[in-house]
Amino acid sequence: MATSPTVHIICSDQHRNGKTLLARVLVDFLMLDGRDPFCIDTDAPDGPLRAFFPGRTALADFAAIQGQMKLFDTILAAPGRDYVIDLPARHTERFFQTARDLDFFAECHRCGFRVFVFFIVDNSFPSLKAAYALQREPGVDLFVPVRNMLVRSHWPENEGALTIPFLAAPIASAISNRRFSLREFVNGDPQGLAPDLVRELQAFLYEVLNSLNGLEPVRALGGPGEA
Amino acid sequence: MKPTLILVGADKGGVGKTTVARSLLDYFARKNVLTRAFDTENPRGSLHRFYPAITEIVDLGNVAHQMRILDTMETANVPVTIVDLKAGNLSYSLDLFERIGVLEAARNGMFTLGLFHVVGPSIASLDEIGEIAKYLTGMQYVVARNSINETNFFEWDEATYRKYFSQIAKTQEINVPKLNEMAYEQVDVAGVTFKDFIDNRAADGSQGKFSFVLRGYVRKWCSEIDAEFAHVKMLQDVLSGGRQQ
Repeated sequence: MATSPTVHIICSDQHRNGKTLLARVLVDFLMLDGRDPFCIDTDAPDGPLRAFFPGRTALADFAAIQGQMKLFDTILAAPGRDYVIDLPARHTERFFQTARDLDFFAECHRCGFRVFVFFIVDNSFPSLKAAYALQREPGVDLFVPVRNMLVRSHWPENEGALTIPFLAAPIASAISNRRFSLREFVNGDPQGLAPDLVRELQAFLYEVLNSLNGLEPVRALGGPGEA
Repeated sequence: MKPTLILVGADKGGVGKTTVARSLLDYFARKNVLTRAFDTENPRGSLHRFYPAITEIVDLGNVAHQMRILDTMETANVPVTIVDLKAGNLSYSLDLFERIGVLEAARNGMFTLGLFHVVGPSIASLDEIGEIAKYLTGMQYVVARNSINETNFFEWDEATYRKYFSQIAKTQEINVPKLNEMAYEQVDVAGVTFKDFIDNRAADGSQGKFSFVLRGYVRKWCSEIDAEFAHVKMLQDVLSGGRQQ
């Protein structure tokens, strides 16, 4: 994974396709890696990501300029650490337009950040089109298309992507409890999960975390856009 | 190159005259053109607050002050002079300049004279255009439609709007884009130029603590204004050193 401080943007043009789950896994992955990520949850007022990381998440309503200030100014005022931005579908287009208008990614680079975009490609042609458009976004150091097997994806099979494996409903339900920590689970605490579910969750996390771990070498090999 | 005198005014208050005057000063500063300004908002001086080093507060009714503006245009070695006319004083000022021969001097080519007439979306504001038409011969006339207060000019019937413009030949029009209210307020509170705000420089020259987001909004707004100014012949003539004249 990135060694430089990185701004990770988790987004999609469609809703309910696993953005917050991916953001959550990513935050835990960074923490397991010894990093100190800070999250910005733009899904106000609910703040689904904040529910899992209340001590390291700011809730910002991107629809309001105060929310934009909270997001962009927070990141630029304290460089040197990783940030994870969880963007609901309704803010995705506006976020990138605003970032363009403000020259945010260039400012990120000046502050020593790298910019990674994780885009969940939904099972629709517009989603694929949006992914291809975003892949060409100037200032993005790494574009990671994401397939979530639960909702399926239009992303071509022969093009690399980060894959979120299918997660059975009982596990999804168990880990949706905000007290359930994926990090602690990885560290050996099943937190009451039944043994068969433990194995399934282990397999799920193994695949996702392994994919995340593989991003940095892929980029070093000059393969942006591939995961 | 002949000096250029740019008047910025309106007979209606609160339409953004000083904002346009500030935009012009900022524009020239970004293009490395020396300017000086006169603020007729006597004695308070709203423009002076943002450009204290190059702005004098004057009373246009005072002959000595008239001389400070007009008799120094050649000798000041500054190509552009901007006069921010006090709210409600546009007709008065043009009438005064007509009486003391300023408009005649411009018509005779002694200097380039331009007027940025800032209008809001009201019939009263548009009526001003007809009222000042008689003074505009020999002057470069620019109507600046200001939407800074979230107003929409196209709420009007465009035919009505055009009727006012048909009274005047060679009118140039620009639209002053809308600047986010919070960004505008923060620049105002900081008492700095738009350029300094973008560059994160406080009024005393030290590093500012302005929001990146608000600076970005102001930068974007300035680039939109630049695009509008790029269509104004008088401004482009100044930038090209008069070669287009």
